[in-house]
Amino acid sequence: MKTTVKRNALSGWMGIVKKYSFVLVFFVIFLVYALVSNGLTWDGMMNVFRHSAVIGVMAIGMGIVCLTGEIDLSVGSMLALTAGFSVVVFNQTGSILLTLLFSLACGGVLGGINGVLVGAVKMPAFIATLATMLIYRSLAQYLCQHLPAGAIGGGSSVYRMSNQLAGYQPLYQFGNGKLATLPIVGIVLIAVTALFVYMTTSTKFGKKIYAVGSNQKAALLGGIKVSLMKTLVFVIAGVLTGVGAFLWIAMNASADPATTGKSYEMYAIAAVVLGGISMSGGRGRCLGVLFGAMSYTVIDKIIIALKMDSLINDAIKGAILIVVILIQLAGPVLKEKLVRMRHCQNAATHG
Amino acid sequence: MELLKMKDICKSFSGVPVLKKVHLTVEKGEVHALLGENGAGKSTLMNVLTGVCPLDAGEIVFDGKRMENLTIRHMENAGISFVHQELNLFNDLKAYENIFLGREYTNRVGTLQAGRMRREAGDLFEKLGVEIDPNALVCDLKPSQKQLLEIARALFFEAKLLILDEPTTALNTEEVEHLFSLVRKLKAQGTSFIFISHKMPEIFELCDHYTVFRNGEFVGEGQIAQTTPQEVTGLMVGGAFSGQSLYTPRPAGEPVLELAGYCGPGFHDIDLCVKRGQIIGLTGLQGCGSSELMQAVFGALPATGGDIKVFGKPLSGGSIHEAMKAGVAMLPANRKENSVIPDATLLENMYLSEHTLSAARFQIHQKAEQQRFLQYQSLLGIKAQGSDGAITALSGGNQQKVFLARWLNTQAELLLLDNPTQGIDVGAKAEIYRLIFELAGEGKTILINTLEIPEIQKVADVCAVFYNGRIIQMLSHGQIDEHTVMLYSTGAAGGEKKQSVER
Repeated sequence: MKTTVKRNALSGWMGIVKKYSFVLVFFVIFLVYALVSNGLTWDGMMNVFRHSAVIGVMAIGMGIVCLTGEIDLSVGSMLALTAGFSVVVFNQTGSILLTLLFSLACGGVLGGINGVLVGAVKMPAFIATLATMLIYRSLAQYLCQHLPAGAIGGGSSVYRMSNQLAGYQPLYQFGNGKLATLPIVGIVLIAVTALFVYMTTSTKFGKKIYAVGSNQKAALLGGIKVSLMKTLVFVIAGVLTGVGAFLWIAMNASADPATTGKSYEMYAIAAVVLGGISMSGGRGRCLGVLFGAMSYTVIDKIIIALKMDSLINDAIKGAILIVVILIQLAGPVLKEKLVRMRHCQNAATHG
Repeated sequence: MELLKMKDICKSFSGVPVLKKVHLTVEKGEVHALLGENGAGKSTLMNVLTGVCPLDAGEIVFDGKRMENLTIRHMENAGISFVHQELNLFNDLKAYENIFLGREYTNRVGTLQAGRMRREAGDLFEKLGVEIDPNALVCDLKPSQKQLLEIARALFFEAKLLILDEPTTALNTEEVEHLFSLVRKLKAQGTSFIFISHKMPEIFELCDHYTVFRNGEFVGEGQIAQTTPQEVTGLMVGGAFSGQSLYTPRPAGEPVLELAGYCGPGFHDIDLCVKRGQIIGLTGLQGCGSSELMQAVFGALPATGGDIKVFGKPLSGGSIHEAMKAGVAMLPANRKENSVIPDATLLENMYLSEHTLSAARFQIHQKAEQQRFLQYQSLLGIKAQGSDGAITALSGGNQQKVFLARWLNTQAELLLLDNPTQGIDVGAKAEIYRLIFELAGEGKTILINTLEIPEIQKVADVCAVFYNGRIIQMLSHGQIDEHTVMLYSTGAAGGEKKQSVER
């Protein structure tokens, strides 16, 4: 009796570990960071939030898309285009509020284009968003060359916010300031995560996202408008990329159309996978994406702390992704083998 | 002579015993029926036999040799072949390519000898009397042809023992006959079969011996010739089953569903009026259009003509949501494909459809939903521990009850049940019938589409027999019997009516 209770408690504990493996991964990486950074400071830790803000918000959007079994390759380019145009809007109007609204709307429209192509036209998401990825990046670069110099704030090949405007200081303050020692952009990230954790776990809309990803046909025959849901998740991913774009210009006061958001779609996907969301859809949780994104930021910091060449960055990120997934996949298989071996031994001793 | 002897086979999954010291003996050149309700352990035993999962204890002797190395490849080479319920064919390959997959003929440099393979496949089909073009793409074949192709593949590599797992579910009567004649022919040549089926008439028509399992235990074996369907059913369910009819006539109310000249993909010129509280059975041969009719009423398929009224109001059609709002619900066929949300809990599976109707109130009230789940659980008799278990862990019958709850929860008044007892064991079937009567008694209107005539006979007030996409005959409860329905659904009777309608 006692042993069964113990075993149940153990398996329950194992279940929790499995459910929150992304936290474990994060803490292991964080521990390495704490060890190599000789002396962890509060500001140093808070910087993780700050540097995770843009990619984290985008990864949440990617997570929602992945939950329906789709993928969005265009978010990196979308970030560049939205950030660039938002800078133009800021330079023309000087209004922070209008800039924010434009960022969200622009992201929503660009995401909506993906959504219509995938949801309504029923194009494979990989192809459709690959196409828009090329289009958005190219437009960002082309228009940067062809807009009047005043609009992009200087005339070089970078969209630069004009620091003459009254709104410049407050916006830059928003991007780089702190509220009770917490970076403001980090607070935005946590708020967005909280909102989407709520949406995916406690609303009917969230349950429908999971249902569509888990079994599309059953969802359709259960009354869910699958095309609409697919369109909407891309719009959501777009709006969140808009949030990311606003944070980006607030933090950097500029956007380089050639490099801003380069490979961010891949980092976002990696964060989603590391966070435990199944790429075939239907399984995983939004909270994991936050930890996935932060894990990657910490890896950046480790590399800086070790004074390594930053070009090795992606190799390490890629390797960690492989290792984590390998553990997730190989773990159950190894366990099964172990159990079987024990059975054989038991059989041998008994018989 | 014994071909296969499985002795004291034990198998458990994560500590739960699924097979408890069962045994099975198959003679050379016989068709052996393996019987039992869903979850009795039939599939597990077959998976053990074919090397899909390892056994915990026991002994397998095949063709005089004790089998030690139980891997899929090894068992296949020994001459055991499993024709799965879900066909293991590659739809994008040609028929002959499927036969030779993994064991292609090649010349010295490794080039495929397509001509030779095509020829030999053709010869094989001819020998078996199977009408399949070796060059045809598998996706273009009919379900029966796929089934026969799979058997042909097994035979090409000289299987001595073929396992047929519910081979007739996707076949119509004629195709079943063809399959059976092939089985008999091969039996005469010395091939043995293990035949798994829920359909008693087929078992008594085809099989020589039987073995019955219940809850992972062996409960009996014997010769088919010396038993009756009642006795075997009794062994399977353990005396809990009564074949008694629950049918009582109910008064019919106002019209709920009115179809006039209704046309769509696979059916045409349907005139039907269904009244409140009625149970209408739709039947016919596979592909007769009755399933498509249901899907069109539910808005899952586009109708192409005619009028449809639900509760007196016309539907524009083509929208599932519109039909749901009008009070229509459909329990689709092929549960696994069309109903199960595998990653969601029981509660989430049950609330799926209600959520789409109440989407404006977006917050979920966990407690209220929990309460409702318990209500439906006791009402429908869903055997499950708690509402947050996985749907995939339930048996077919219990899953189906969850989906019934899904639709009842939408407050639907008109229930369209498409093949509701597909792949469900005898006991659960009886429970589903009881539920259908209860719901009809409460004033729900129910349409059932099924190919199983005894099912219609048990529950339907009126049976609409389909032939070639139209209703060829309406039969009242007293008139429904296997013979009559078969006559109409094969087009052997009812010709005059057809003509008069056309005129």
